[in-house]
Amino acid sequence: MLEAPFDPIKLAVPFFILAILLEIGLGRLRLAKAEYEARDTLASLAMGLLRGVPALLTAGLVFAATVWAWEHRIFTVPFTAWWGWVAIFFLEDLTYYAFHRLSHERRLWWAAHVNHHSSQHYNLSTALRQTWTGSLVGTWILWLPLAFVGFSPAQIFIQQGISLVYQFWIHTEAVGRMPAWFEAVFNTPSHHRVHHARNPRYLDRNYAGILIIWDKLFGTFQAELDAEKPRYGLIRNLGSFNILTVAFHEWIAIARDLASARSLREVGGYLFGPPGWSPDGSRDTSESLRARWAARQAAASTPAE
Amino acid sequence: MPEFRVRRTAAISVTAILTGLIPSGIAVLVLVGLAALARLARSTPPLDEAAARSLLGDDFPEAQIDRIWLAGDGSSALARSGARALYLFRLGDAWVARDLAWTEAAAAPVQDGRLHLRLPGVSPRLARPVLAGWPPETA
Repeated sequence: MLEAPFDPIKLAVPFFILAILLEIGLGRLRLAKAEYEARDTLASLAMGLLRGVPALLTAGLVFAATVWAWEHRIFTVPFTAWWGWVAIFFLEDLTYYAFHRLSHERRLWWAAHVNHHSSQHYNLSTALRQTWTGSLVGTWILWLPLAFVGFSPAQIFIQQGISLVYQFWIHTEAVGRMPAWFEAVFNTPSHHRVHHARNPRYLDRNYAGILIIWDKLFGTFQAELDAEKPRYGLIRNLGSFNILTVAFHEWIAIARDLASARSLREVGGYLFGPPGWSPDGSRDTSESLRARWAARQAAASTPAE
Repeated sequence: MPEFRVRRTAAISVTAILTGLIPSGIAVLVLVGLAALARLARSTPPLDEAAARSLLGDDFPEAQIDRIWLAGDGSSALARSGARALYLFRLGDAWVARDLAWTEAAAAPVQDGRLHLRLPGVSPRLARPVLAGWPPETA
């Protein structure tokens, strides 16, 4: 099947609106933690509202490539088979983990993803602060193997939508912790707060989409600690609510760096190195920040002689 | 042969996009309005020296701060840390920090009592603090 019979994201839009209203209402009544700043909220929601416009540029290419892969598939997974949905649930979620990790650990893809992390708030509107340039950097290629295996473009599209809809509700401080069994298996508000935090301990952790098991399996899991409250946003937070700044600031920074590059090695480093890479190592990466933080922790816990 | 279910679909239409965007845009404005009315912003009281040091410590944990100049309205602060200047300013209900060379900060022009810092990506009005005690006697 090429064309999805429904779009989970479109179906969920009324739920998104009602959930944000509920979060604001609970915050107002002081029944739950919810912090909103109007201009921050406007930036987040405007990013979400307009995300589909730049995606139109590549929609045809993405669709054609997925159909091509499916036409050359190894097996055929029937759209109506229950086991097919179970299989794609796990495989798509694993693909999402890979995509998300790449989007944090390599600068070209970070430039497309960084806007989602650019708010200093963590509420349901933050979930909708979506990328405008994601489809331009080709991460959709990561989903093509699913079509090669035999999942139809429609099934892949629906499962991607289900994953995005699931990830909406975890962008909140209104929910503390879910039951232990749920926290052990699924991505939750607590796990995802860690992901959005800029504390060195929490950097580049919890890449999960729906299942947190991938982070536990691949060594990127970090539990939220009561003693260390997440501080949200970027290592260097944005100095503006302008959505063009939100959408393109890292691209501009890359262009500036490329203009100053003196060798192919530097070009490669600026594009494909970790965010913060610099030829002389003078800038901070997540790894260097975490290492220095660990050193400070160790020094603080070592008794003075 | 793979099963194809091809439907005659219209080409992407600007009208269709606008039809979708307009109600969504109205919903966005309503939500933003309600968020503003609900007054759920964080409290960001005017900076004093201790608060400025603490906030700068979050962004620059290894910096040894030699001296701090505070804006009269408590909305920003500039600190000297050796060869670096650390600048902290309020954006909405949050704080944002930047660093630059101390020589650059010390040489920045002052017009109508406002220090004009050049900070890429920062709205100019947020980079023009009125600092008490500025300029320093020995830059």
